[in-house]
Amino acid sequence: MSDAALVALGLSARVALCATLAILPPGIALGWLLARRDVPGKALLETLAALPLVLPPTAVGYLLLRLLARDGPLGERALGLDLLFTWKGAVLASAVMALPLVVRTARLAFEEVDPRLEAMARTLGLGPLRAFAEVTLPLARRGLAAAAVLGFTRALGEFGATVIVAGNIPGKTQTLALAIFSEMQAGRDSSAMTLVGITVVLAFVALWTVEILQRKGRQRG
Amino acid sequence: MTAGLRIDLAIPCDGFEVALVWETAHTALGLFGPSGAGKSSVLEALAGLRHGVRGRIEVGGRTWLDSARGVALPPEARGVGYVPQELALFPHRDVLGNLRSGERRARRTLPATRRLAPERVLELLELTALAHRPVTALSGGERQRVALGRALCSAPSLLLLDEPLASLDLPLRRRILPYLLRVREEVGIPTVHVSHEPAEMTLLCSEVCVLDAGRGVACGPPAEIFGAHRLQAGEGGAELVNVLAGTVGAVADSLAMVEIEPGLRIAIADQGSFVAGQRVAFELRAADILLARGPVAGLSAQNVVAATVREVHAPPREELHAAAVVSALLGSREQPIAIVVSQRACRELALAPGTSVHLIFKAQACHLLAAY
Repeated sequence: MSDAALVALGLSARVALCATLAILPPGIALGWLLARRDVPGKALLETLAALPLVLPPTAVGYLLLRLLARDGPLGERALGLDLLFTWKGAVLASAVMALPLVVRTARLAFEEVDPRLEAMARTLGLGPLRAFAEVTLPLARRGLAAAAVLGFTRALGEFGATVIVAGNIPGKTQTLALAIFSEMQAGRDSSAMTLVGITVVLAFVALWTVEILQRKGRQRG
Repeated sequence: MTAGLRIDLAIPCDGFEVALVWETAHTALGLFGPSGAGKSSVLEALAGLRHGVRGRIEVGGRTWLDSARGVALPPEARGVGYVPQELALFPHRDVLGNLRSGERRARRTLPATRRLAPERVLELLELTALAHRPVTALSGGERQRVALGRALCSAPSLLLLDEPLASLDLPLRRRILPYLLRVREEVGIPTVHVSHEPAEMTLLCSEVCVLDAGRGVACGPPAEIFGAHRLQAGEGGAELVNVLAGTVGAVADSLAMVEIEPGLRIAIADQGSFVAGQRVAFELRAADILLARGPVAGLSAQNVVAATVREVHAPPREELHAAAVVSALLGSREQPIAIVVSQRACRELALAPGTSVHLIFKAQACHLLAAY
């Protein structure tokens, strides 16, 4: 494996990990909200949360670019931080793209927990937060782990939004997905193939993990 | 603990409304009625798990709900020990873990000396050997006991038991009933017990409220409720059951003599399950008793007991073929025994309040409900 491939792999892992950690709390919260509460505008919220799944990633990337631009509402002037063309920008782009998958999987995980068990915990003297921590969370833990792994793989494969928000700078923002594209463009087929092989292995291991987690969850009933 | 339950509830259900007013100082309470009458809804309202409940709930002097004044304690602030029909055991915890679920509240509300420790509850319900089993690996009767134990360990001020025996077959019922009796006698927590089994109610409750199609239609001691109320409703009493309790005396020749009051012994067929000195409860179907006015001799039936007719409930005039139900008093017992006889027999024997009769029934007709 070449040094460039290793650098791209390291960067990809870092970006995908940070993106996953960043979206887990809001993703889990949103998944719980959609599974358990009848909030006004729930259908709208659901649609908004699913939007990045169906939009062209370049469209999401372009919207982020406008938001993060120097004069944009989330840009340097407004917030004092410049994310464009940095690895943090890549994190943000992959996080937004991975959010729908995390929300959906977390929602399913919560829906599998019998609400009567939560009600039972309340009658035993546990407040809503404690009931969540002692009953809901442990029972949904496999599904939530699956949500995290799926989010991670989605972030790992993100291309369209990332290339617009973070660019394609080798060693700085060039993740595996971007590196494959560059190598192919430059006609370095064997190098591109190596990178593809790495991504296949990574994705395979992640999906395998999800499959096992979900199978165990079902066995437990 | 101040005893007493005062409720005045209106609970919206699918398509109808359950309305119940009930004030009582008793602590062993029964809520009786056919399925779909709204019994479980009342328990859920008491536990604080239902939305849109209007009215008032006062338990032991504490107000749990007063919708007019905007008071509605959340479930965790009420202190109930709820055992729903589906049990809702925590699948991610073992037996002891389930019992411990409500321990934090118990610590908060009661000093150690008055708390039921999980170890003690394991013993009481004979679960000690199963303490570290996952609840998913238990049998139906074991799961039932774990759910009961979990409720007991949380130091509840009111136990809510929703058909604790309904899902169990007869042999299992006989095994769980003694635990319920033991809880009633040794723990003494006020309990609302939902059931549609008169025998169960008679054994476990000192006051029963009858719920029918969302309305409370009668309230009183079980003997009264299951003696008069149902009969006047014209149900004929075919499944009417008497529940008696007593102490086993001599056991010999496949017969156990059970003393139901000093000097009054009933012979019960024994298949090896009786032990002298034990408290037992048994049931005797009203249709399995014969009535005789004159002296009787030379019978194969083991039990001939003198009694006095208290009341005769004739069926409505238009029901020519329905049976009459006679209630009779034995010895000094306050609780009458119900006997089903045909209208014709009723006329021929000239049965009326005060008539002296003999009750005749086989030792085989007495079915053991529980030994405790």
